[in-house]
Amino acid sequence: MDGSASPALLEAAAYLSRGSSLSSVPNSIKLELYGLYKFLTVSPLPQTSRPSLFDMTGRAKWDAWTSTGKTYNDRKADAEKRYLEIARELEWIPGDAGTQLISPSHQASPGEVWDDELGMRVSDSASNHRGGMGTTVSALARPITQDGAETLHKLAIEGDPDEVSRFLEAHPLLDINERDEFGYTALHLAFDRGNLPTAKVLLEHGGDPLLKDPDNLTAAELAEIAGHSKLSALLREGSTIV
Amino acid sequence: MKQAGEEEERTSGSEQERHDPGDEDGVLEESQPSSSKRQHKKRSKVSKVLNTLRGNEIPQSIVNHVVEQVKVDQGSASPAADPDAVRAALEQLKIMDVLKGKTGVAGRGKKAMGEHKFWATQPVPQIGEEPPSEDGYIEPTKAIEDVRREPYPLPKDFEWSTLDINDGKQIKEVYDLLSLNYVEDDDAAFRFQYSAEFLEWALKPPGYFKEWHLGVRVSSNKKLVAFISGVPTTLRVRENVFRASEINFLCVHKKLRSKRLAPVLIKEVTRQVHLQGIAQAIYTAGVVLPTPVSTCRQVNRGLSFITSYYHRSLNIPKLVDVKFTYVPRNMTLARMIRVYKTDSAPRLPGLREMEEKDVPQVADLFARYMQRFSMAPIMTVDEIRHLFLSGRGDVEQPCEKYRRPKQVLWAYVVEDPKEHRITDFFSFYSLPSTVINHPRHNLLEAAYLFYYASDAAFEPGVDESNNLKTRLVHLIGDALVIANQAKFDVFNAVTLMDNMSFLDDLKFGAGDGLLNFYLYNWRTAPLAGVNAVSDVEAGRGVGVVML
Repeated sequence: MDGSASPALLEAAAYLSRGSSLSSVPNSIKLELYGLYKFLTVSPLPQTSRPSLFDMTGRAKWDAWTSTGKTYNDRKADAEKRYLEIARELEWIPGDAGTQLISPSHQASPGEVWDDELGMRVSDSASNHRGGMGTTVSALARPITQDGAETLHKLAIEGDPDEVSRFLEAHPLLDINERDEFGYTALHLAFDRGNLPTAKVLLEHGGDPLLKDPDNLTAAELAEIAGHSKLSALLREGSTIV
Repeated sequence: MKQAGEEEERTSGSEQERHDPGDEDGVLEESQPSSSKRQHKKRSKVSKVLNTLRGNEIPQSIVNHVVEQVKVDQGSASPAADPDAVRAALEQLKIMDVLKGKTGVAGRGKKAMGEHKFWATQPVPQIGEEPPSEDGYIEPTKAIEDVRREPYPLPKDFEWSTLDINDGKQIKEVYDLLSLNYVEDDDAAFRFQYSAEFLEWALKPPGYFKEWHLGVRVSSNKKLVAFISGVPTTLRVRENVFRASEINFLCVHKKLRSKRLAPVLIKEVTRQVHLQGIAQAIYTAGVVLPTPVSTCRQVNRGLSFITSYYHRSLNIPKLVDVKFTYVPRNMTLARMIRVYKTDSAPRLPGLREMEEKDVPQVADLFARYMQRFSMAPIMTVDEIRHLFLSGRGDVEQPCEKYRRPKQVLWAYVVEDPKEHRITDFFSFYSLPSTVINHPRHNLLEAAYLFYYASDAAFEPGVDESNNLKTRLVHLIGDALVIANQAKFDVFNAVTLMDNMSFLDDLKFGAGDGLLNFYLYNWRTAPLAGVNAVSDVEAGRGVGVVML
C-alpha cells in the first residue's frame, strides 16, 4: 500500500520526522499521528497481535493504530486530512520537505536538530563510541550473580531496607544474627557494604553489633575500614544506648 | 516512503522502543547511557559469557553431551566425536558469543552494514578467506606518483586540518575532542581521558609525519570535530619486517556519528601513509569490525587476534565506589583491601628509574626479548629513548612518591649490583578515565603495563623452567608497588607478551573489554591471543602494545 500515499502526506511525514518539530508534542498527538500514518500507508488495522503489557510503547501504538482503523474505516481521505491538519498546526508549510525526502541530503536527515555549539544540524541523540579504531575501556567483569533463594544476607547486601523489614516480618522465627556460609552476619554485610538504612533496620530487630566476623572485626570496624563514616558513627551512638 | 514511516515511528516513540531488539537502526540501538538497572543486567550477561570464556572451562558435562550427540549422528569413528575437538569448537563458539554480545547482533544494523561495505573495499583479509599459507601483502606498495593527489572529499560543511602537535593550543583541541567524545565502556561509566602530555608523547616519536595527525573541522567556525592519527613504526610479523603506520585515536564528535566521517578519515590517513611510501598499518579496535553473518571463519576477517583486558585493583574503596569492581559475595570490603594490599617499597635489588645512560642496554635487551613473540615492533635506539624517557614529565621537579608533574610514562631498570649490567626493565603509562556522572569521583587513575624485558628469557631451557615466570612475577610485582605508591587506582594489562604467565599470581582479574588487533594490507595466519594457536601459547603471539 506504500504507493498509495499522497505526496502531501509524505511531505508532512518528512517534516514531522525531522526531530525538532515533534519534540514538545504530547504523546497523545504523536500516537494519533502514528495511527493515521500506519492506517494510510500500511493497512487499515495492525496485522500483528496486541503487544503484551510489558511492551507499553508497542501496545500504545498498536492501540492507536487500531482505534484509527475503527474510526476512519474506509474514509482514507478524512484520515489524511486530519494528518495534514495536525502537521500544519505543528508549523508544517505545504511544499516543505518534499525534495529532501526524495534525495536525502546531509542538510536535513530525519532525526536531526540544529546545534549551536557545532554550528550545524546534528543527530538528536549522541551515541557512544564503541566501534572504530583505538583501544578499549574495560572494567572488571562482574562476578556471576547467582539468583539463589532470598536470604537475609542477600538482602543486607542489596541494601533495600523495606525488603529487609518485609523479610523479617515474614520470618518471625529467624535468628537475625545467623551467620552465612562465609561466617558473616547480615549486620556485618550491611555495615561492610555501607547500607545505612538497612543497618538501622537490622539493629532495631536485634542485630548484635558486637559479634566479630571471621577476620575478627566487628560491624563498626568493618564500616570504619571500608570508609563508611556515617555507619561507624551510628554504632558509636548506638553503643552508648547499649 | 517506508523510511519516512519508520522515522515517524521513531520520533513518536518513547524511550522503551529504543531498546527493542527488533529495531534495525544501529544509531538508535547504541544511543543514550543506559539506566543502572539495565547496566547491571547487561554487564552480568556479558561477564557471564566472559567468565565462562576465561579460565573457567566449559563444563565436561556439556562436552560429553555433544560427543554423544555426534556419535549418534555420525558414528563413534567420526573425528568430530573427539572430546578435545568438541571442546575446541565450543570454545570458538563462546568467543563468538562474546563478540556478538559486544557488537550487538540485532542492533546497529545500518551502521554495521555501512562499515561492512567499507571494509570490503579495503585491502584486509576478506570474509570467508582461509588462513593464508604464506604471509604477505594484499596489494603491492603504490608508487608515490600513483597515489591520489587530492584529499578525499568531506561532506559539505567540513574541512580537513593537519594538527600541529607542537602547538599547545592544537594539542588542547585534540585533548578536548577526545576527552568528551572518545572511547567509553559498555555501560558509559568510564571514558578515556588521554592527557595533553600523553598525546604529545604518543604522537611525536622520532621520524613522525605531521601529515598523519589528521583533523576535521567545521568549515564555518573551525571547531575540531574529528581526528585520526598515525605514527611510523617498524614491525616484524613472524619472519617479515616492514615499515607500518600505527593508527590510533580515531574519534568523531558524538553528535556527528551519522555523518559517515570515519571511513573518510581512514581513507585519508591511508592516503597520507601511502604518500610516505608506506603500505601497511596496524590498528586495534574494541569491537570486531562488523560482519553481517556470524560464523567462526567470518570473524577472522582482517583480524589477527583477540586479546582481553585484565585489571589489578589497587585502590579498593574507590574502585568499589565507582563500580569498577565489586565485593565478592564471600568477602568483606575490609578483607578485599587486605588481599590487594601491596608492599610499601619495591623489593628487587638494583631496581631504579631508567636514565639516559641505560638507553643502549635497554635497547639491546628489548630487541632480544621481543624475539619471543610472533609479532613485535623493532625499535631504534632513538625510538627507545623517546618511548621510555621523554614521557617522564618535568624532570627538573623532584620525583616525589614515584610521580613527577606531567609524567605519563614510568620506566624502571634492574641493574645487577655487581656487574652493573641491566638485567631487566619494565614500563607502564598513565591513562586515566573520566568517571561519568559520579557524585564523589571524576577521574579513575589507571596505569597500563607497557613494554618490559628480562634476561631470564635467554637462559637455556627457559621454556621448561619456571625461572622467567618467577622473575616476571617479581618484576611486575614491583611495578604494582610503584604504581600504588604513585597513587594509581588500578593497574591494567592486556593478554599479550608474557602477561598470561603472571596475571593470576599478581591478582589480576578478568576485565569485560576485548582488544582486537588488525593488520592493514598484510596477510598472516591468526596469532595467539586469548587462545593458543598451534604451538604458540595463548598470549604469546603478540608483542605490540598499543597506546
